[in-house]
Amino acid sequence: MSRLVALVCLPPALALAVAAPGQRPAASTATGVYSEAQAAQGAMLYKDACAACHGETLAGTYEIPALTGRFLRNWSNGSVGTLFDYIGRAMPQMAPGSLTPEDNARIVAYLLKANGMPAGAQPLPADQGALDRIAFAPR
Amino acid sequence: MSEDIGLARRQLLTGSIALSGLSLAGCTTGLARSGPGRTPSGPMLAPMRVSPNELVDVKCCIRPFRAQGCRLDAEQLGDTLVIHNYGHGGSGWSLSWGSAEIAVGKAMSVLPRDIAVVGCGIVGLTAAVVAQRAGLNVTIYAREMFSRTRSVRAFGAWTPSSRIALTEPAGPAFAALWEQMARISWRYFRACLGLPGQPVEFIDSYSLSDTPPRNREHAPATSSFAATGVPQSEGEFAEYDSLVRDIVPSSTNLAAGENPFGTAYARRRSQMHFNFTGYGHMLLSEFFAMGGKFQNRDFHSPADIAALPEKVVINCPGYAARDLWRDQTIIPVRGQTGWLIPQPEAHYGLGYGGVSLLSKSDGVMVMHTDSTLGDMEGVGNSMELPDRSNIEAGLAIVAPLFARMAGGRA
Repeated sequence: MSRLVALVCLPPALALAVAAPGQRPAASTATGVYSEAQAAQGAMLYKDACAACHGETLAGTYEIPALTGRFLRNWSNGSVGTLFDYIGRAMPQMAPGSLTPEDNARIVAYLLKANGMPAGAQPLPADQGALDRIAFAPR
Repeated sequence: MSEDIGLARRQLLTGSIALSGLSLAGCTTGLARSGPGRTPSGPMLAPMRVSPNELVDVKCCIRPFRAQGCRLDAEQLGDTLVIHNYGHGGSGWSLSWGSAEIAVGKAMSVLPRDIAVVGCGIVGLTAAVVAQRAGLNVTIYAREMFSRTRSVRAFGAWTPSSRIALTEPAGPAFAALWEQMARISWRYFRACLGLPGQPVEFIDSYSLSDTPPRNREHAPATSSFAATGVPQSEGEFAEYDSLVRDIVPSSTNLAAGENPFGTAYARRRSQMHFNFTGYGHMLLSEFFAMGGKFQNRDFHSPADIAALPEKVVINCPGYAARDLWRDQTIIPVRGQTGWLIPQPEAHYGLGYGGVSLLSKSDGVMVMHTDSTLGDMEGVGNSMELPDRSNIEAGLAIVAPLFARMAGGRA
């Protein structure tokens, strides 16, 4: 039910991105779309690739965005694919596009965990199309 | 982000840094040594306090450079007309008003009543105010208010052709457009002089050196932007300052007895700069007083912008255009400034040994660059973390100047 509510609340353009006609019903980050092991791998990657700017605790700085709090509002109500795509081509800022899709998925898993999204049995896929069908929805 | 970091680097002279925004070709002829000894002379100036103990901030930002010059074209996205206004390199502050005039003029062509402005840096906020003055209702959508944008991590002085374009890709049409923007901006800035909070002011800036200054000679280029997609040599960067030399103050060589710093060679010019705090307050006050609205938004794609209720949008995302608009013509150019405590008693600027100091209302700004790189410094570098050691090294270079001043006045 909560999944349906999330979809209904999306603006039309984003709803299309999350659940295109003929595709499986979208999953939601509220239902466990990454695994604990994947998030742990993501945490390690985050320390190497992200923490120098965004901070060990994801708190950001005056200039650099935090990855909790406002982050959740900025990225929720879209798809996980939007965030995955952005990280893949824009981050790390000093070397954009330098991480593999698999590592980006691990980092996204870590960010989901850090923002209170529950873990599930399966890891988050590193496939753009699949991620586009997963709603980034707050708890 | 911003954007005016950097003095007019093509005027960097070996052994010194010129604070002139104008061509200095030929200036070396007849330049007098400022005194047989190294005793400061000339007007009394308070020495700046340049101890690292009073360094209170180091700010880094990335200039949004485009070889073609800033983007000002219009694009139709569904039922939304988007007028782009980004990619001003190191000239965002300086060209903000002229660029806004052009963008708003294009927006007015479809007779809107309500428009959106994306971005709240100096380019976006100025465009919003210009649109209001044209009678439009304006909503700014941005992820940060002005004081947290890259614009306030800039140098913030009149440097209208600092990393604004490459001569060849930009072509003569952009040179004419640049002149139009620079002249309009200059007039707007002049209208801000003397306002409370000193949003804009002129101060004396000194270009100092221990050896006879001479114009930079560009190293022979072994490659080019055309071949690589990235600027390869300083000589590729456009130089337009001579187009406005009739209105911008030029430098004066200081004769013996006129040099307050005791260096062998000195020049002085009047330099316009922008005080971030007062300037931001001025623009935001007008924006909100005129009924402007601000909404905190972080856009992820052009489709997000097309979905805005306003069907005319002036798009001013600065460096973020690279990711938001997937505009790979944006080339990062890193720069940083250090900030000493405000020193209103030392109300001047100087350049010496690759170090620039500028006394502003919110602090003495420090910039330390590699004189051998000129405009190429930071090109392609999107690392945005500040490097305090670079600023401290710069302070060590200029510290003897002020020690000498203090000694000479004793």
